[in-house]
Amino acid sequence: MSTVTRNALVSTETTLREYVSTGVMALGAVLFLASWAVLFQWVGESTPVLGVAVFTLFGVLLLAMAVGIAGVGVAARLGRVSASPSASAGLVVGVLFGGIGFVTGGLVASQTLGMGAVGWLAVALAVGVAVAALAVVPREDVGSTFPPALFLAFVGALLVTGTLGLGWSWSPDGVSATFVGSVMVPVLTVAGSLVGSWSAAKARAGFGTQGREGGAFYLIRLSVFGMLGVLALLVGFIVKNGLETALTRAQFGLGGHVGLPGSILGVTLPNWSVPFVDVQVPFVTNVSQSLFVEVPGLAPAILGTLWLVVGAMLFAIPLGLAAAIFLAEYTESRLFRQLVEIATNGLWSTPSIVFGLFGLAFLVPRFGGGKSLLSGQLVLGFMLLPLVVITSYESIKAVPDEYRDASAALGVTQWQTIKSAVLPAAMPGVITGVILGVGRIAGETAPLLLVYGGPPFSSQNPSVLSSFQFTSAPPFVSNTALMDAGSALPYQLYTSITSGRLPGQGAPFSVQEFGWGTALVLLVVVLGLYAFGIAGRIYFRRKLYNE
Amino acid sequence: MSNADTTPQRQDAQATETTTGETVETVRDEWADYDFDGEPMVAVEDVNVHYGDDHALKDVSMDIPEESVTALIGPSGCGKSTFLRCLNRMNDRITSARIDGSVAVDGEEIYQDGVDLVELRKRVGMVFQAPNPFPKSIRENISYGPRKHGDIDTSLLSRLLGRDDTEAEEALVEQCLRDAALYEEVADRLDDNALGLSGGQQQRLCIARALAVDPDVLLMDEPASALDPIATAKIEDLIEELAEDYTVVVVTHNMQQAARISDQTAVFLTGGELVEYGDTDQIFEDPESQRVEDYITGKFG
Repeated sequence: MSTVTRNALVSTETTLREYVSTGVMALGAVLFLASWAVLFQWVGESTPVLGVAVFTLFGVLLLAMAVGIAGVGVAARLGRVSASPSASAGLVVGVLFGGIGFVTGGLVASQTLGMGAVGWLAVALAVGVAVAALAVVPREDVGSTFPPALFLAFVGALLVTGTLGLGWSWSPDGVSATFVGSVMVPVLTVAGSLVGSWSAAKARAGFGTQGREGGAFYLIRLSVFGMLGVLALLVGFIVKNGLETALTRAQFGLGGHVGLPGSILGVTLPNWSVPFVDVQVPFVTNVSQSLFVEVPGLAPAILGTLWLVVGAMLFAIPLGLAAAIFLAEYTESRLFRQLVEIATNGLWSTPSIVFGLFGLAFLVPRFGGGKSLLSGQLVLGFMLLPLVVITSYESIKAVPDEYRDASAALGVTQWQTIKSAVLPAAMPGVITGVILGVGRIAGETAPLLLVYGGPPFSSQNPSVLSSFQFTSAPPFVSNTALMDAGSALPYQLYTSITSGRLPGQGAPFSVQEFGWGTALVLLVVVLGLYAFGIAGRIYFRRKLYNE
Repeated sequence: MSNADTTPQRQDAQATETTTGETVETVRDEWADYDFDGEPMVAVEDVNVHYGDDHALKDVSMDIPEESVTALIGPSGCGKSTFLRCLNRMNDRITSARIDGSVAVDGEEIYQDGVDLVELRKRVGMVFQAPNPFPKSIRENISYGPRKHGDIDTSLLSRLLGRDDTEAEEALVEQCLRDAALYEEVADRLDDNALGLSGGQQQRLCIARALAVDPDVLLMDEPASALDPIATAKIEDLIEELAEDYTVVVVTHNMQQAARISDQTAVFLTGGELVEYGDTDQIFEDPESQRVEDYITGKFG
């Protein structure tokens, strides 16, 4: 007799097992979302839903999940539903649920029943071992459904009976924190829904290896959605809070002003106008402080951030790329390469305020003693440099040697090979590195405080292009705009929040609203820079690989 | 390794007992002597190659006649690719490699001071085992070498001045593609990315690219081993045609291929020795070395 079990090769029917476990998973998803809604206070804890208190409803749903998975487990064990379980759920599951049992049992024994240290430890151990045994000893269909069902039933019962509810609170000795029901209930519900859904996902795939895969995929999918959820929450929060400020007195229309944005390089920008379209966003185009400005705007900060980024890139990309080429293509010495790698990695993890201090001590005195755009650009360039070196080096190394061999075999010199065959192939990687670095430095605040930041609300746009002056005596060229202190978006956010007031009177929003608007614009600017970089990367990829 | 118990010994072959008890045939110098009319295109004398402590090639000497196909065969790791890479000094690119001996191409010693590697590799072109076109258009792949050498100038400046070589480039691309028997297949998509071609087409493009710098010698390192039988047949036909104008040296694992396409064959065996070199017919029908016979008949690999 073979020990290999065989299942049907093709099964198109949805079985009872799948119906029940899908239902349990759906319940789990609802509970999961609902608990977060309660945690974020989108739904009040005391609001009745369907005529029942929210927490009681949670309890009922948890109990329903418990019944569902336990039922599937029993039915599978008795052979009433088809499944292909392994002999045991495995040691990992046993240890996990043993741990849950240990903690739960211990807490109940020590806090609710008031047992002493010896007593609660014994109870906790006993419960933990019992649950672990329940998970490990029986066949997998029981072992991976009963322990979670027990946990769900326990939490559900506490909620339904009201033992654990709104009025419940617990202040453990020796800890200053207080656990209150309004937080603990959703947290426990989240835990319960996760555990129950995992078990149901296993059951849905019929236990065994497929079941393990089902359970694992469920957890992975959940992590992905959790991550996306966090991101969406963050962006949504900023947009929600900042959009109204950003669009203060904004106008969108057709016709209207016909003109050119001729004053980008000028000093003040009362209103930009685009031909044939009437678009006015004073929050974006106004200076932050002026006699004639009613809506304090961000134009100096936006232009400041852009100039900082441009300057830093002009400084860091040529230097970093050259260093990367030297490391990847020319140097033979492993020791030297490792030294440079360690140095660049160290430089990359150096806190930005240290860069700022260096700029303050080294650059500022050499640039006339005052804070200046130029020193800001250089300091941000120093910060960008290591990432450009690291990512360019990696992507140059990743270019297949075949290209170099092919080129060398045609008698092409090494430099020509690098220029014409290696760098084009490495370009997408280099651009990725620059994008990442730019994203970091565009949002950098700390070094700017020390080397660049001017008055909290700037009344001037940095006009770098129009400020070049040429003289017949050395140094032949000068630029006052590069030598001026100014504002940048993260710096603007910091100064406005810390100063706690807006310039002048009669601004149509509060300083907090101004801050949220600044955050939104900063986000948009950084995302815009990303978009530029990604477009560049796609362009080079297309060119390279015919995608 | 041939084993004394299982391998029949020929009476006339000299055999020496090694310390491990195995009997190894002693290689005789005259097995690798090969006479032909005319000057050798490539003359190799006593070449030794070490990779670190590894002695990859031992005292190899052979003369390669011009406008012919020379096949290098032998088991993996026997040094035939190393030998091939000696002929255009590609081994220089491996830092651990040390090369002694003499290689003369068209009468000029290439292992001496003052050798222009750019010029050498223009004269001795190379095609690699895996097709390795650049991720550029077909046209750019072909004109890559001439452009970099300044023979063809299509830069913006020269185009503005009306002195560009666009027409010359066009003619060169077509000629090389025709020589590589690829033109008909790609004539209408010269500006498409070369990576979109099939493996066999890519390899012929690589051959065309090597032809574009007008070499005298063409080295091929298992050019068909990554290709299917139909593409292989095309490459084989191409090699035979190329031998009318070029001196082709081709490394192959496939003995039928060597027998089909080559005029003379060199057999390398484990340890980096050139065991036998001569007319392909003679090597395959009546080899002098017992080990070569075993290898060719498949008893030893």
